[in-house]
Amino acid sequence: MFAYLIRRILYIIPISFGVTVLVFALVHMAPGDPLSAVVPPDAPEEMVQELKKAYGFDKPLPIQYATWLGRILVGDLGVSIARSRYVTDELAVAVPNTFILAAGGTLLGFTLGAFFGGVAGYFQGRWIDKLATGIAITGISVPHYWLAIVLVIIFSVEMNVLPSIGMGPGGSTAWQWNAENLKHLVLPVITLAVIPMGIITRTVRATVAEILNQEFVQALHAKGLLNQQVLMHVIKNAAPTMLSVMGLQLGYLLGGSILVETVFQWPGTGLLLNSAIFERDLPLLQGTILILAMFFVLLNFLVDIVQTAIDPRMARG
Amino acid sequence: MSRRALDEKQQATVDAAQVAVQSRGYWATVLVRIGEDKVTLVCGAVLLVIVLSVVFADWIALADPYKADMMKRLKPIGTPGYPLGGDEMGRDMLTRLLYGGRLSLFMGVTPVVTALGIGGLLGLVAGFLGGRVNMLIMRAMDVFYAFPSVLLAVAISGALGAGVGNAILSLTLVFIPPLTRVTESVTTQIKNLDYVEAARASGAGNLTIIRVHVLSNVLGPVFIYATSLISVSIILASGLSFLGLGTEPPEPEWGLMLNTLRQSIYVNPWVAALPGLMIFMTSLTFNLLSDGIRSAMDVRL
Amino acid sequence: MKSIRERLRRHLPRIIAATAAVAVIAGSLTVSNTARAGGTLRVGMTAADIPLSWGQPDQGFEGFRFMGLMLYDGLINWDMSSADKASGLIPGLAESWTVNAKDKTKWIFKLRQGAKFHDGSEFDADAVLWNFDKLFDKSVPQYSARQGSLVNFRISSVAYDSASNAKGWKKIDKYTVEFTTKSPDSFFPYQISYILMSSPAQFDKTGKDWKQFAKNPSGTGPWKLVKLVPRERAEFVPFKEHWDPTRQPKLDKVITLPIPDPNARTAALLSGQVDWIEAPSPDAIPKLKERGMVVSSNLYPHIWSWHLSRVEGSPWNDIRVRKAANLAIDRAGVKALLGGYAIEAKGHVSPGDPWFGTPSFVLRYDPAAAKKLLKEAGHGPNNPIKVKIMISASGSGQMLPLPMNEYIQQNLKEVGIDVDFQVMEWQSLLGRWRAGAKAAQAKGTNGINVSYTTQDPFSGFTRFLRCDLHAPGGVNWGYHCNKEIDELLNKASLAFDSKERDKWIAKLHTLEVDQALFIWVVHDVAPRGMTTKVKGFVQARNWFQSLTPVYME
Repeated sequence: MFAYLIRRILYIIPISFGVTVLVFALVHMAPGDPLSAVVPPDAPEEMVQELKKAYGFDKPLPIQYATWLGRILVGDLGVSIARSRYVTDELAVAVPNTFILAAGGTLLGFTLGAFFGGVAGYFQGRWIDKLATGIAITGISVPHYWLAIVLVIIFSVEMNVLPSIGMGPGGSTAWQWNAENLKHLVLPVITLAVIPMGIITRTVRATVAEILNQEFVQALHAKGLLNQQVLMHVIKNAAPTMLSVMGLQLGYLLGGSILVETVFQWPGTGLLLNSAIFERDLPLLQGTILILAMFFVLLNFLVDIVQTAIDPRMARG
Repeated sequence: MSRRALDEKQQATVDAAQVAVQSRGYWATVLVRIGEDKVTLVCGAVLLVIVLSVVFADWIALADPYKADMMKRLKPIGTPGYPLGGDEMGRDMLTRLLYGGRLSLFMGVTPVVTALGIGGLLGLVAGFLGGRVNMLIMRAMDVFYAFPSVLLAVAISGALGAGVGNAILSLTLVFIPPLTRVTESVTTQIKNLDYVEAARASGAGNLTIIRVHVLSNVLGPVFIYATSLISVSIILASGLSFLGLGTEPPEPEWGLMLNTLRQSIYVNPWVAALPGLMIFMTSLTFNLLSDGIRSAMDVRL
Repeated sequence: MKSIRERLRRHLPRIIAATAAVAVIAGSLTVSNTARAGGTLRVGMTAADIPLSWGQPDQGFEGFRFMGLMLYDGLINWDMSSADKASGLIPGLAESWTVNAKDKTKWIFKLRQGAKFHDGSEFDADAVLWNFDKLFDKSVPQYSARQGSLVNFRISSVAYDSASNAKGWKKIDKYTVEFTTKSPDSFFPYQISYILMSSPAQFDKTGKDWKQFAKNPSGTGPWKLVKLVPRERAEFVPFKEHWDPTRQPKLDKVITLPIPDPNARTAALLSGQVDWIEAPSPDAIPKLKERGMVVSSNLYPHIWSWHLSRVEGSPWNDIRVRKAANLAIDRAGVKALLGGYAIEAKGHVSPGDPWFGTPSFVLRYDPAAAKKLLKEAGHGPNNPIKVKIMISASGSGQMLPLPMNEYIQQNLKEVGIDVDFQVMEWQSLLGRWRAGAKAAQAKGTNGINVSYTTQDPFSGFTRFLRCDLHAPGGVNWGYHCNKEIDELLNKASLAFDSKERDKWIAKLHTLEVDQALFIWVVHDVAPRGMTTKVKGFVQARNWFQSLTPVYME
């Protein structure tokens, strides 16, 4: 186990390196002037050139990459061109905000998914199964950003019971875990939860069905063992897969929240990404994508470790 | 050499492939089971209707999808000449939905097909050759896997800029890693089977083995897996257009229409909801269909 | 030894009284915020982020509106007190400014005495020099390339030589500054209005770092920034020692929120999360009114137009084609598209404007006349002229570019001009505007749809028309080069009496319209949505607005 842990940790290094190369390449393959978005159209040419030099855009790409890599390793993600703020500052605020959203979405998705999936797997083949599976498939088929808009119209504009944008009445820095603030969380979390709910339902269903179909479980049942104990057995066996799926979903939500955050103006990494793309703010774009990707790598790593710890057979390589 | 576990769908594919290889008449059984599954059949039919009407839009559609008429802006459903209403530029919604379907389906299917080709090839090579080549290819895939798919799609599209071509390129890159993985897994398993080893021992060349044994057994399951990616592709593609990164106006495409009709939600909410409904229906039928086929293939049930 | 219970019993009345007192005070504190006349105004802006707070704002003119001019003043300000007359220049931190009669490149600005910055330091001539240094002089600690890039093009007349660091701003005494321009330019005061004065003392206090200054800014404006959450909100409270008695804020607090998505903005107003939104989508306005919201609007110096290429070979070189295009557009229809929230253009500026002049060519909807002109030029519906125009799908001031452009496309097609569009993102469009009609990126196109301010002569006329201001030196996108126009521009810039200057610009405008140099469509009226609780707002005829007279009911 320990050796596996070490190997796994070491493995992250080349992957991380690969990620930095990919992020840099992605961001710099954008055609056009990196400064065009932030400098007004009337600005004189010398001004533009000067800004370019200040940001290092006049140097050849490999040098720019090396400089950036060097800086990342000491924790300096650079300065946002458009906002003249440190990228680390921006991310320090945005990441926890998205995390709250992603965690909420995963939890809700997991709870609903476990419920629907468990029910479906237990009552395999019957109409409850079909209903639950139907709900799950609807969850992964509906464009969730569209769902967001519909929910806003119904609950914010028409019924005025939930707010339509933002993270709390006082903004994200004034966030408190009270009713006023949690109201802002409701619609975005519901929207984010539909896809994980769908995926988790199907996974749970498949796992539960598989376990229940195992002969010895049927034998236990035949012996008259209480349903409760069978349930415990199911849960214990399903746990590793569940954990891994949940972890992955959390990762997907962390990195993929841009659509929901755009509709709800949620001040997280998705919104950051949105402005960075449209303002062609290269340092911010690079920094945000890198951090999100690294989170995902880390999450994968943790999931792997936990899974292997619970069930050593799952160790890969 | 560790890698992340295959997800549930991918694992099912790999399992199915193993069984497929080992028993004759497997595919016949699958077909029969599909025939008995009403839901899958209905979905197949609905999908067929959608696809056909979209392909034959020229014959069905009433109007020019680009012709704007400001007088007919946001007319409600049922206006004469505008059965599903008018969009924000006064174009006929039914026509736009039909033509939009072309682009949406195109952007949904093309990346998956292309990724299947490229990813499949890479996976085959990696699985078959093993060793260093395998490690190289799979490690490269792992780097891409470090990105959640939405993030990767948005990042690539954001870098390349808006446009159908760029969006397709971006989605293709997103789908290559999972397809490579599945293909590699399947190929590795098949390669190690007894009778394939026997064939090799009897002197058959690599290419022959690939052609005769591996290819036919790999393609099937991987292909089915790919179809389950289509609905993801459709939603991602329309999501990109929604953000302003995919299709550009005035091209009709469901995701873009969802975006441009957003302002009109206060004037005519039903019309504004239609593109979303189309995406939902198409995505749903694809999902149910591919689910049905996979459960027909699933030997455990 | 008294037991705890006994002690408690003895002190209980006092404890109860104390608790009650605290409760009452706490209650009154929360109640009093809503009971006072001022109130808190929450504004939803179209900007994607809070504008930069260090002095020169970004996010265009909205940045001036909801940050720059709230925290800061210029030496010269804009008059935002009236909705009925044109908004012109008024004394700001300078009480008066005069040009030297003998040497018209020198201006004397007499500064206001006793004006204080938010940090308590005093405003004087040194502060003025310091602020101009921050934009140009690379050797000083306060130099900011970014702020320079945001505003230097607006103050192009001021003398500055980067090689020798020779500056066109000099201190005469504690409250007098002398400016030198490169050549005599009567537009100079307009240019000065865009330069805002940040506090040098505060800059030193915040470690001579603009990033830190931005978190704790200090200017002379009527509002103070008390909270800044990037990308989310900015909170302002009144600055009690603001020098202008006519601009004392009535509100207790203003909160600005960036909500770039028009749909989200409308939803925010309708769900009660904000009290005021900028630029609601015209389609949503009927819904706002239905829900009892107030929609405020007014004419202001804005024009939505197509800039035409005058490069050799461009179909727009024929005046008949230009006039025909202007006659073919149904501006009333465009206005209807916008729910009535637009004013049909008769030229670059509107007829009531002192710069309008007396053009003989009247912009109107007359497709028959248009067809006749095109026929003379050898074209018609059967032999159409083909043009390609660059447009954007959105953008500040662009209104509803797609429906508007498509409508115009319909109009033009009917008379025999076939329009093709190249749609791009707003920022890309601005980049193309800067690159000019001869650039590689402009290949195949011969027009560009842009909207902008016409509130000062340089922004409204000079930068598009003067022969030498083509790319990369300016936004004369179409390479206009007309000797007569250059002469009129020159005369206007040399007319230091405002009435005389207006006369020359009027002549210029007359010529511009008679030559149909651009295709003018409509003027925006800056619709804003607000709840009925918002009172006292006067929508000036300006891109900038003042929130000082506003109060919540």
